[in-house]
Amino acid sequence: MALDIDFIAHNSNLKNFNPNFKVLISFIFILVTLIANSPIVSLIIFAATAILIILIAKTPIKDYLQFISIPLLFSIITCTFMLFFLGSGEIIYNTGIFNITIREDSLNLAYSTFLRIVACFQALGFLTLTTPIMETFNVLSKLKIPKIFLEISMLMYNSIFIFLKQFELMTNSQKTRLGYNGVKNSYRSLGLLVSNLFIKSLNRSEALQNSLDSRCYGGEFPVYEK
Amino acid sequence: MHIIEGFLPWYWCVFWFVLSIPVVVYGIIKIKKVTDEIPESKSLLAVSGAFMFILSSLKIPSVTGSCSHPTGNGLGAAIFGPAVTAVLGTIVLIFQALLLAHGGITTLGANVFSMGIVGPLVAWLVYTGLVKAKISSRIAIFFAAFLGDLLTYVTTSIQLALAFPQPSFGAALGMFLGIFAVTQIPLAITEGLITVVIWNAILSSKSTLLKKLKILNPNHNESGDL
Repeated sequence: MALDIDFIAHNSNLKNFNPNFKVLISFIFILVTLIANSPIVSLIIFAATAILIILIAKTPIKDYLQFISIPLLFSIITCTFMLFFLGSGEIIYNTGIFNITIREDSLNLAYSTFLRIVACFQALGFLTLTTPIMETFNVLSKLKIPKIFLEISMLMYNSIFIFLKQFELMTNSQKTRLGYNGVKNSYRSLGLLVSNLFIKSLNRSEALQNSLDSRCYGGEFPVYEK
Repeated sequence: MHIIEGFLPWYWCVFWFVLSIPVVVYGIIKIKKVTDEIPESKSLLAVSGAFMFILSSLKIPSVTGSCSHPTGNGLGAAIFGPAVTAVLGTIVLIFQALLLAHGGITTLGANVFSMGIVGPLVAWLVYTGLVKAKISSRIAIFFAAFLGDLLTYVTTSIQLALAFPQPSFGAALGMFLGIFAVTQIPLAITEGLITVVIWNAILSSKSTLLKKLKILNPNHNESGDL
């Protein structure tokens, strides 16, 4: 399903690179882009992260394109909207429909915002495409983030995959029984699916607790440090 | 509707972080108190969080033909209360940013504020208010989910309008609200209906659930059917 990113991260060329540096690089890139807020800086960061992701981390191009496609689509839509509707400066182009115009300041705003988004999500993408999430959390645990927060996050991360499997099984069995035929049926099936998943998840939490206790869980998942 | 990485100028990122962090910290303190007393609740919280994550990756069949995903705010807030939901919501948003490229780390503060704090708080207020007024919990949960969803989008619009006040804050707010109203009001109604269907199914097996949920909220009995 949607969690391919984790798979890519585990197979990345930079997987064994020190995660502290990867987190640091990614955050510095994002902060520089945000604070500088200039199209040139954004372009440089974009190019740098693209090189890091494709050439150095050797992320497959197909996966990379798939990863950027959704945020890219979103930012194109948003920035087109900003281009036409925001702004109060000089009119550079009038479409002639409903007084929709492109103004000078909205053009500047739209393209600088677009470049900023693209650079930022790529910098974040560098982190997510090269670092398994457990290692990212391990880095975060060194920064005074409450232990209980990280503990619940890690337990949650483990449960997500169990649920995804369960979820797929249940949806498939509903689909084979024409459960999603028509709007009314879809609602009913979705309700049954979610409520069963919820009840199952509560049972599951008991099993999880038992298995953790029987393995002497003391509130920490040790991660091998390189 | 998540605000994407890099979309907000850096001072607004800081501003929303400053607003969100105290609430999340309060939630963490509350969770810590519960987990210190009853260690089993840790796995229950983790599994509930994973459930919220799966819920947010669901596609709702919507009237307009477009698809969106439920926020799970109404359900979470009615069952766990707003403080715990805020913490779980924060973790879910981090996973969405890192695993699905949905949202972002610098915009986390803003997203947590709209989706993890305002939404659940409104949903919880509406739910407890209506239940106290002796209205059936099925109707209460509909309005909780519906209004929680709607106010999440209103908050997002305010955040966007504050970040891009062009030509003025009011005009930008009107613009963002107008765009959201077209797509989000049908979606909010859909989410309300779906939540009712889920709620019905959960109520039908409430005896087993009650026992387990009591761990998190000892006076659950008093707040209506569940």
